[in-house]
Amino acid sequence: MLRYKSMKTGAAPAAESISASPGIEGGAGANAPVAAPNVGAVAHAGSPFHSRAEAATAVKTADLLILTFLFLIMIGGYHVHAMLTMGDWDFWVDWKDRRMWPTVLPIMLVTFPAAAQYFFWEHFRLPFGATFLCVALLFGEWLDRYISFWGWTFYPINLVWPTSLVPQALFLDIVLLLSRSFIVAAIVGSMGFSLLLYPNNWVILAQYHAPTEQYGTLMSLADVIGFHNVRTSMPEYIRIIERGTMRTFGKDVVGVAAFFSGFVSIIVYFVWWYVGMMFSTTKYMKHI
Amino acid sequence: MTTTMFSSLARQAGRLWALGLAAGLALTMAAIGPADAHGEKSQAAFLRMRTLNWYDLKWSKTNVTVNEEYEITGKLHIMNSWPAAIEVPNQCFLNTGQPGAMAARLGVWVGAPGQMQFTPRSMKLEVGKTYAFRVLLKARRPGHWHTHVQLSVKTGGPIPGPGAYIDIKGNFADYKDEVKLLNGTTVDIEDYGQGKIYMWHLFWIIVGGWWILYWFGKRGFIGRFAWVASGKAEEIITPQERMVGAITLAATLLIVIIFYAMTVSGNPNTIPLQAGDFRNIQALENEVDSGPITIKYVNGTYKVPGRELVANFKITNNGKEPLRIGEFNTAGLRFLNPDVYTSKVEYPDYLLADRGLSLSDPAPIAPGETRDVAVTVQDARWDTERLSGLAYDVDSSFAGVLFFFSPSGARYPMEVGGSVIPTFMPV
Repeated sequence: MLRYKSMKTGAAPAAESISASPGIEGGAGANAPVAAPNVGAVAHAGSPFHSRAEAATAVKTADLLILTFLFLIMIGGYHVHAMLTMGDWDFWVDWKDRRMWPTVLPIMLVTFPAAAQYFFWEHFRLPFGATFLCVALLFGEWLDRYISFWGWTFYPINLVWPTSLVPQALFLDIVLLLSRSFIVAAIVGSMGFSLLLYPNNWVILAQYHAPTEQYGTLMSLADVIGFHNVRTSMPEYIRIIERGTMRTFGKDVVGVAAFFSGFVSIIVYFVWWYVGMMFSTTKYMKHI
Repeated sequence: MTTTMFSSLARQAGRLWALGLAAGLALTMAAIGPADAHGEKSQAAFLRMRTLNWYDLKWSKTNVTVNEEYEITGKLHIMNSWPAAIEVPNQCFLNTGQPGAMAARLGVWVGAPGQMQFTPRSMKLEVGKTYAFRVLLKARRPGHWHTHVQLSVKTGGPIPGPGAYIDIKGNFADYKDEVKLLNGTTVDIEDYGQGKIYMWHLFWIIVGGWWILYWFGKRGFIGRFAWVASGKAEEIITPQERMVGAITLAATLLIVIIFYAMTVSGNPNTIPLQAGDFRNIQALENEVDSGPITIKYVNGTYKVPGRELVANFKITNNGKEPLRIGEFNTAGLRFLNPDVYTSKVEYPDYLLADRGLSLSDPAPIAPGETRDVAVTVQDARWDTERLSGLAYDVDSSFAGVLFFFSPSGARYPMEVGGSVIPTFMPV
């Protein structure tokens, strides 16, 4: 940062001195900083580094710090967004229905990944914006579910497991990588992000949709798990999930819900791509 | 000089203030104990008195061990004086207010004896009617727990009923919650299927983590930023890296599709989450307002300093036996007339004022007689349960159920209520 601050021209600042960062593979010392002399040599006038190795170490450290801090920030930011918008649909196994869950989650969750894709792709050509966000979200969610939901309140994990999101995120990222177009990513990627949610999670969820009879009433196992484990008020009293079905389309509720979600996600993706554009800048901070 | 001195003093004062604030906060936190009630006192007094009346409540056991079943039974009257502030219970749910899943709720039944409906979902209850209920629970976590019944009403939220402490002993690790499926197998839903949850989440998080680190390893952030900033954005990703992406995409889709297909074939008989409200819940007959009594509320006062409600009624006994007023029940509190209740009543002490009711004329009301009666309901529990707030409510009205008793043992609950004029503390 000091190096950037000292540059007055602003044109490709780091490229002139460090053409490749060390990273984990391939970068370390592969392209020596032009301004920095070899190991052990005396620092070149104007360079903040004493040696090429020192430059490589500094950049590597900075990279790792950026990665760590971004991860922590995304855990917080994306997690808050997710909990406030999709909340109960993700908290409880008896809210993971076939209509509202595959509708609400992708629409609400494609937001931050779209903005992150702008940031990581446009400035770094890194095709992991969505995956980075979803892994961070799941990391935060698992901390929350295990420590809060199980550790503090003793709700069984099979009641409170979070929705699996990584395959959808990989799809979104790789469509962007292969197409190199945010428009294609929005249309194809967002649609896939929505359509993959149900099949990807059905491998976990199916076992909880086994039927059981409870005192003469048919219930799914998920219903029973939710009913037995008392939540004091909100989630269970009048569930706005699965209040019947979409009669027009017979029993194919999931497909309709997923495609509807996909179409809305496309629009949401566009909006949030521009949100990413608006905030991937330092112009709001003139003095650091 | 003076300015320097004053700014120094101001800094010192600021530090002392901050230190005091921190110490004060620390002290308040030291006094924090476990929360063991469920906010019932926080609800407006008129709301608690005018919505529901819970009576004949019984907790079958208050000392149980892990895996032991116990139940709460009683009657629930949906008050005619239901306030306009809350939607009537066309969609509601009989719940238990308890500190999380300390006990499993195995079943909830509502209705009339012989016609009790199992209600694991929402139901419709009608204003003015009375229902019997039964909640079957199974002890799960050891501890000392405050457990209520409560009715959650659409748009109105939970309305807690009376609560009692349940002591659960034993070992949480011994807890089992077995459910028999329609295919005949029995599963323990306490941990059923958790292996799959952990396995799939771990697998995909590892894949996602690998994807992030793979690209991060390609020159990190600063190096890539430099490349992109220098106009080499299109050169930074190699064809080999795109191939890795394509293979990852194909593998991801294949894994999702193959395992989805395997899961579908392995679970051929699944059902969606069940929905639908329960209607036509059978109400009790010969309960509230069915007695041979005509009762008219005339007026009333509430004395804030004395925690005393005085309600004046004109009561006509249309029956064949003399009647005495034995109890006033409101918001889960029971105010008893000691002339009628001569033996100890099993009820949570904090909700029982066993000498809380007195009458202007304690003599029984004779058959055919019409009498003006002033009912005085006085006890500190008005205050401790925050019902004295009715003097400050937006709707300064009370409501409850008066219980009349005949010499033959008949009991007639009658709903009463109306507006009251408060008497405030002298200033």
